Amino acid sequence: MSDPIVVFDQITKSYDGINTVVHGLDLTIERGEFVTLLGPSGSGKTTSLMMLAGFEEPTSGTITLDGRLLNHVPAHQRGIGVVFQNYALFPHMSVAGNLSFPLEMQGIGRAERDQRITAALDMVKLGPLGERRPSELSGGQQQRVALARALVFQPKLVLMDEPLGALDKQLREHMQIEIKHIHEQLGVTVVYVTHDQSEALTMSDRVAVFNQGRIQQLASPATIYEEPANAFVASFIGENNRLVGTVASRDATYCRMMLEDGMQIEARLADDLAVGAKAVLSLRPERVMVGASGPESNRFEARIEELIYFGDHTKLRLSLGGSSGFMARTSFKDGLRDLQRGSLVMVSWSRDCGRAMAFSEQE
Amino acid sequence: MTASTILPARQRPTTGRLILYSVTSVLLVFLVAPILVVFPLSLSSGELLVLPTPGYSWRWYADFFSSQRWLLATYNSFVVGILTTLIATSLGTLGAIGLYLGRFRGKAFVLALLSLPMVTPVIVTAIALYFSLSAVGLGSTLTGLVLAHTVLSVPYVLLTVLASLQSFDPNLLRASASLGANPIQSFYRVVLPLITPSVATGALFAFATSFDELIVALFIASPDQFTLPRQMYAGIREFLSPTIASAAVLIILLSVLLLMVNETIRKRAARHTLPSTHRTP
Amino acid sequence: MMSRRNLLAAALIAPLLLLVLVSFIVPLGATLYRAVDDAEIPTILPQTTALLKQWDGKGLPSEQTYQSLIAELREAQEQQKAGPVLNRLNFEETGLRSMLLQGLRASSRFTGSTKEGLIALNPRWADPHFWGLVKRSTGPWTPLYFLRSVDLKLGPDGAVVPTAEEEAVFVKLFVRTFEISLVVTLICAVLAYPVAYTLSILPQVWTNIGIMLVLIPFWTSILVRTTAWFIILQREGPINALLVSLHLVDQPVTMIFTRFAVYLAMVHVLLPFAILPLYSVMKGIKPDYMRAAASLGAPGWRRFLRIYLPLTMPGVAAGALMVFMLSVGFYITPALVGGSGDQMISYFIAFFTNTSVNWGIAAALAALLMGMTGILVAIAWLLVPGFRAGGVRV
Repeated sequence: MSDPIVVFDQITKSYDGINTVVHGLDLTIERGEFVTLLGPSGSGKTTSLMMLAGFEEPTSGTITLDGRLLNHVPAHQRGIGVVFQNYALFPHMSVAGNLSFPLEMQGIGRAERDQRITAALDMVKLGPLGERRPSELSGGQQQRVALARALVFQPKLVLMDEPLGALDKQLREHMQIEIKHIHEQLGVTVVYVTHDQSEALTMSDRVAVFNQGRIQQLASPATIYEEPANAFVASFIGENNRLVGTVASRDATYCRMMLEDGMQIEARLADDLAVGAKAVLSLRPERVMVGASGPESNRFEARIEELIYFGDHTKLRLSLGGSSGFMARTSFKDGLRDLQRGSLVMVSWSRDCGRAMAFSEQE
Repeated sequence: MTASTILPARQRPTTGRLILYSVTSVLLVFLVAPILVVFPLSLSSGELLVLPTPGYSWRWYADFFSSQRWLLATYNSFVVGILTTLIATSLGTLGAIGLYLGRFRGKAFVLALLSLPMVTPVIVTAIALYFSLSAVGLGSTLTGLVLAHTVLSVPYVLLTVLASLQSFDPNLLRASASLGANPIQSFYRVVLPLITPSVATGALFAFATSFDELIVALFIASPDQFTLPRQMYAGIREFLSPTIASAAVLIILLSVLLLMVNETIRKRAARHTLPSTHRTP
Repeated sequence: MMSRRNLLAAALIAPLLLLVLVSFIVPLGATLYRAVDDAEIPTILPQTTALLKQWDGKGLPSEQTYQSLIAELREAQEQQKAGPVLNRLNFEETGLRSMLLQGLRASSRFTGSTKEGLIALNPRWADPHFWGLVKRSTGPWTPLYFLRSVDLKLGPDGAVVPTAEEEAVFVKLFVRTFEISLVVTLICAVLAYPVAYTLSILPQVWTNIGIMLVLIPFWTSILVRTTAWFIILQREGPINALLVSLHLVDQPVTMIFTRFAVYLAMVHVLLPFAILPLYSVMKGIKPDYMRAAASLGAPGWRRFLRIYLPLTMPGVAAGALMVFMLSVGFYITPALVGGSGDQMISYFIAFFTNTSVNWGIAAALAALLMGMTGILVAIAWLLVPGFRAGGVRV
């Protein structure tokens, strides 16, 4: 099964020799995979992509593509397609001219060029727009041209640097699906950079969550969401309730946490925590059941502080124990229609949904 | 963004880079060297403009500051320059605000008409003013010279101020109105502070234009109205003494001072996150 | 009905507009009008003009016309106003001034017919062509100055013909002006490119220093810089001193008052005008374009030719147009460091205004120079987006 195409081995990058942007990065990308580098700005994700594309050189470590050491290969000899954040379409060339450019660089003859340009434009549904200038296209069309240009010379690997960042929400979601389809159709390997977590979860085979120059977790979207490896990942991906306490008792899988206000909560152990250790409970709002029914393990009374209506669901901000920022999520099918600010409700959640993790001071 | 972040620079600069840097250095030296050469010449102890100088002395500066003609020229230059700056800056700024506010047809034409002195070859302006100023009895007067220099420099003020007005966010005025300021208060409290740097830049340009102007002065100034450039030109034509070099040094120092003031204004304006007033000067 | 807003706008613009109209547009119009104005003879010789209007151009004018011409000329001469008329007719055909003065002097001794007396004095008085020239000069307009400024004139039959070879100086002058401007523009464009590029890629500290080195000459008066070259290029100047002391030459080289000196000083004066717009264009080119080209497989030189050069062309065009526009109107620099064969249109406009007083020709040359500059400004407006002719300080 394992057929790596890209291997980052102990890559470190510093621009000024003092501040390190990427620390000892190890990352293996499988052939045909869609890997997303996700993280806040300045987390090192874009720098890693730039090093792979050949626009930056690593300070130390090696990058290989198909087993070939890339460190000293100039960008134009790497054969890696790149979709840029603001597309970087050449403004002085037509759409077809932009697509023709990489083919001319490879010395491909006119007839084949024309044929491949047509095919690429058809693929992104821009067939008749070949003679237009990039400035005459809408943002969404420019994005498609950028995509077509990065694919037209049939690279084994395509890098995308926040390619949908400039589009509005609806178009962005549409393009996410379209890129995903193209990826499946062509079987090309994609490395995708974004700071938008829903984009990462929707599109990727695997997600690498970056923070402060290090990969915090590298796993499938479901694992990242359901089983965040640490508090950073838990809080960066999706919404999250955080309750701080100490481990009162534990067995192999579960523990009982004692919060500062005396509340006791059962939770699954995400880290190997000793009794007495300071711990953080991480719990997704949509795992919290509101109302009488629900599991018995963690069951508390809470006061509704605020109701936030979203149409398809309603969010509740609750006071639970000493905390007033506890979030829960209900939907119409829960049958709760008479919720009011100030009223008391029962909340509960399965002990498998709450994850107890080691507390770290830096958060 | 530096070169090294566009594409990785190799550890050692390439031959191409070295050639590029050398060519650039040579050309930058070419640009400033002739200006620098004047400095040692002005300090020569000898009578001739030759390098190396036989020795150094301040005698040509002493000559400059004891010569009636040079002092008169300096005085005239400052009088004309300051009056020109005052008139051009006030009329140009008011005109720019008018053009910014106005919503009438033919605005582009008015702007083109007002900018015409800037693109007209100076010799044409010079003969036009020569004929007309003498016709109304203003030939060979400082008033005539001020009028001529004002016309030459007013487009710089107008275009600089207009550019900064046009680049500023009309929402600022709406915000000011919504906060209860009437149009006049909005102008004084919001517009004026934001365009001040460009007014100052325009004023510096106006002064520099007047201070450096020679061609119009050649036509309409008699010896009593000679400005520094006109006096220098006469000196070159008559007797090339190192006094000319010392006058040149004084003019250069003033120009550099104006440039520094302009750069300071520009940097401070940029720090106020103003819509950029950076102009290709 | 004017809105309050426009009323305020008009009030703010009015003083400036008035200033520019009164002290620029009107003088400019009046000056350019001199290029076609033909008022000397109708104003100074009104009766002769009236009589010639009646003359059918065949045969010779009447005795009365001869008498009127001499009488009015004499009167003008006594009031010291005859000069413009004599100049005007002499410009039409060299030699007419002396013929008229001779006739004027002799006419006081005439006893009989003025017409016969004059013809006896000089047979040209009996030449209908002479009278044709005078009639043609009775205004109100004449194409003569414009024709002459492109080496043409009206022949005896009123057809446009080339001027005599020794008088055909103006086409050469235009060609020379264009040649000098073109050479200076090309040199500036070629030299500005590497400088602007280097400045756009250096670390900020070095860029700031470099830009200062460009801005200092830019802000320094053109006269000062030309004077510097005037001193440097002297026979006894620093360059010759250096060359002789290094034994590169035995005799000082003549550099001042040559075309070489004109090119050198003009390039020095105008190079910043080419560097600055190019620099700002280069600074605005996002590195992603070059990265994209690299990722698409283009090696360095192809990235330059296919992407960078076309993207920076607007900067080259803006700088080159600015330099060319300024070059065409250059006066001081060629006048100081050039020889007599290196003077441009501006020099001759000044020459015809001050030295050899012929305001008609000066005005016609000025109008043509303005026209050329106007065409260049129009090209710049059309070709270079956002072109502002800022910083034209000559």
